Amino acid sequence: MRDRKNRVPMCVQLTTGMRLARRAARSIAALCAAIVLPLAASGTHAESAPPDAASAAATDLKFSQFFKSPIGPAGLELSDALRAADGRPVRLVGYMVAQEQARPGRFWLTPRPVRMSEHADGEADDLPAATVTVLLDPAQQDRLVAHRNGLVTLTGTLSIGRFEDETGRVSWIRLQLPTNALSDSPDVNAQR
Amino acid sequence: MKHLPSLLAGACALLALSAASTAFAAPTVTRLTPPSERFSTGEPEPVIARFLPGQRFDLQATIKPDAGQRITAARFVIDGKPVDATVALRDCATGCVKGVNAETAIATIRAVSLEKAGRHEFSVQATQSDGQKVAATGNFDVVPFAAAMGPKVRNIIILLGDGMGAAQRTAARIVKGGYAQGKVINPLAMDTFPATGMVKTASLNSVVTDSSPGMTSYVSGNKNNNNEEGVFPDDTIEPFDNPRIEYLSEYLHRTQGKALGIVTTADVFDATPAGNAVHTSNRGAGTGIVDQFFDDRSRTGLTVLLGGGRKWFLPAGTAGSERADGNDYAFSATDPHTSEIVKRWGAAPGAKDKGRDLIQEFQGAGYRYAPTKTALEAATAGAGADKLLGLFAFSNMNVALDKIDGRRGAKKGLAGGSVVDDYGFPDQPMLDEMAKAAIATLKKQQQGFVLMIEGASIDKQAHNMDSERWMLDTIEFDRAVQVAQDFARENGDTLVIVTADHECSGAALIGGSMLTDQALLDAATKKGSANLRDKVVGVYEKAGFPRYRIAADGYPEATDIDYRLLVGYGANADRYEDWRTNATPLRDSQQPMAKAEPLKWYPANAAERDDATGEFLVTGQVPGEQAVHTATDIPLSAFGPGALAFTGVIDNTDVFFKLAQAAVKGATAPADASGAKRPAKAVPAR
Repeated sequence: MRDRKNRVPMCVQLTTGMRLARRAARSIAALCAAIVLPLAASGTHAESAPPDAASAAATDLKFSQFFKSPIGPAGLELSDALRAADGRPVRLVGYMVAQEQARPGRFWLTPRPVRMSEHADGEADDLPAATVTVLLDPAQQDRLVAHRNGLVTLTGTLSIGRFEDETGRVSWIRLQLPTNALSDSPDVNAQR
Repeated sequence: MKHLPSLLAGACALLALSAASTAFAAPTVTRLTPPSERFSTGEPEPVIARFLPGQRFDLQATIKPDAGQRITAARFVIDGKPVDATVALRDCATGCVKGVNAETAIATIRAVSLEKAGRHEFSVQATQSDGQKVAATGNFDVVPFAAAMGPKVRNIIILLGDGMGAAQRTAARIVKGGYAQGKVINPLAMDTFPATGMVKTASLNSVVTDSSPGMTSYVSGNKNNNNEEGVFPDDTIEPFDNPRIEYLSEYLHRTQGKALGIVTTADVFDATPAGNAVHTSNRGAGTGIVDQFFDDRSRTGLTVLLGGGRKWFLPAGTAGSERADGNDYAFSATDPHTSEIVKRWGAAPGAKDKGRDLIQEFQGAGYRYAPTKTALEAATAGAGADKLLGLFAFSNMNVALDKIDGRRGAKKGLAGGSVVDDYGFPDQPMLDEMAKAAIATLKKQQQGFVLMIEGASIDKQAHNMDSERWMLDTIEFDRAVQVAQDFARENGDTLVIVTADHECSGAALIGGSMLTDQALLDAATKKGSANLRDKVVGVYEKAGFPRYRIAADGYPEATDIDYRLLVGYGANADRYEDWRTNATPLRDSQQPMAKAEPLKWYPANAAERDDATGEFLVTGQVPGEQAVHTATDIPLSAFGPGALAFTGVIDNTDVFFKLAQAAVKGATAPADASGAKRPAKAVPAR
């Protein structure tokens, strides 16, 4: 269902005093404590690596460099450039996928704008093979990133290889973002 | 007077009984399958479940014992006679849905069928460990075949425009056919079908269906829950163990040896294609769904499978594979709850085998594999392949507009190529080309075939409210309709229906633009409803007759024409409207530059965020970002012998019985007058 509750970071809900299902409250409180404490301990933006320094170390990678295209009769042939970037900081320019049922802590970045109708279509989707699963910092796993139109530039650590998440969805290319990828405060006027 | 003592005694006994029953709650039957109003409310009608004579289905009951008790035995009775088959009895210690306690029992008999037509009552009778018994009764109909007025049809072709309501059909006609002084210049192929009915599309659990029950109602005769395919709902979590209903493909393959073809522009695991051959309560269980296509091919007669979805066919170790054991299926060898599916249905047991190379297995089983349009053409050249597997994309195929742009060399892609180049699949076939290949392969089948052809992205692009993309997909779909109609016209023994599973987006053709495309672009820069609504939307006579020029390839030369057709949406989410074809990134002058600043994230009150930026915001009536399916009836058109049976306002499940009647006994309606040839020779009676 189109459940707006899915769109709301649970931790933030709790801290701002919004009501939660009673059953879930206790475990969420524990989860939030686990997340908020390390955040508080590590301070905020000031202690993160300066964005410019992180960006400077990153290599620019293009979606079109990911694998051999056209795609042959079977799977993807990963390029040397992509393999070489495994585990390294890279900068990607792409479009954030507009999801109907976005999940906290992650989103997809694609070379072309894509909208998803998960409720009606599930994984019968229009995502290109070169879709990158973007992961927020582990301390920000409860946060739901606001979709925005247009190209975005993201810098993070690339990882290549089969990874199956807790829902069974498989990704082959992931970008792990640093803490400073998110703004310090949520934006009520976030662009769609 | 002499009866008084015995009456009193009887009354006392009754009182004692009722006292006992209030003190010790009896076990209860919480679900009885097939579903019925007889069970749910006690009313004999409407009858929910209907079957063909001999069509197979499962019986199931969920029985909740008293606290501290368990269900020790259960049996099923139909019309007073016990059903002579193994009752699989399991509890809910593990694997049941929330709210069902561990002692709850699920009793199942697989693959029963009745030949005798008419209303049937069936019951479950269960005993709990202290000897208390419980029974519950439901009903279903076996729908008789009628005396035929004509010969049996050899082939059935179901063309399913996903999400294609009347508005989508009309839009395709206006764009492709054009109007002159109120008259259509070139009608759609589907407009030339002699019979049309209106179809009620509700599913078992909603007036608004999704694509799963939307499809399965046509090919099983029964209502399914949303998200479920070829099964009735149950109380377990496992997606492949639900009570099954035999599909048209299975029934006609088992009784007549007919082959099955499935053609779609979507990922082949999607609800509509899977809803012809796969039995699952989770339309998202991709690995299991594609495995079942292959594993049960000898039961469904699957001979042609064309579409997208290659990601499910690649072994897990191959880059791009989406196969995962978590969404695969495997039936137990020992637990009768699922082992009886294998025994009584003859289904494959399955395995959790994400490492399986399904393309190779299809090839090993004699299917010619086509990864591109060129390979598809080669597979049907000359004598052609006997069986065909085509996987032209990793998930959904690209939509008609992008495929045609690719063929025309329109450089709308990112790297100087086209959109299909961006996806890495520049050589994808159009739906009509896939339909031709499917028919060329299937027509060699001695006993005929059932072919389902889906125009999938009419729905998917309507969800996106991307008007031009669903219009072109409807035109593409109509070209496939033409292919099927040509074949049916030539052969005279093929029944063709064109329908939808449901309407999507509440699309309405609200008028025509009062501006040229250039003026529309200018209006967009001035923004707001004063410019983008009031100066654009021409209603009534101001709409005139939008005129699109059709290129030799059969599609509009351009969609961003002057004085274009305008679409409104009645089931829309909030959206910004500029009336122009949804832009590709390179061409969009409005596209913001790449942003490197930190990402925004939603605060707790995300629902209250204000997105207004001064553009023309159309406020939505549904939450979320996408348009939704609607409960509105959809049109169904039919061609060929038996076509005239498809008139009136009919239930989606009625379609199944009409198709089966035509294939098993022969058409009940007079032959249509559309000039189809008679069959070259009569189909031999079986």
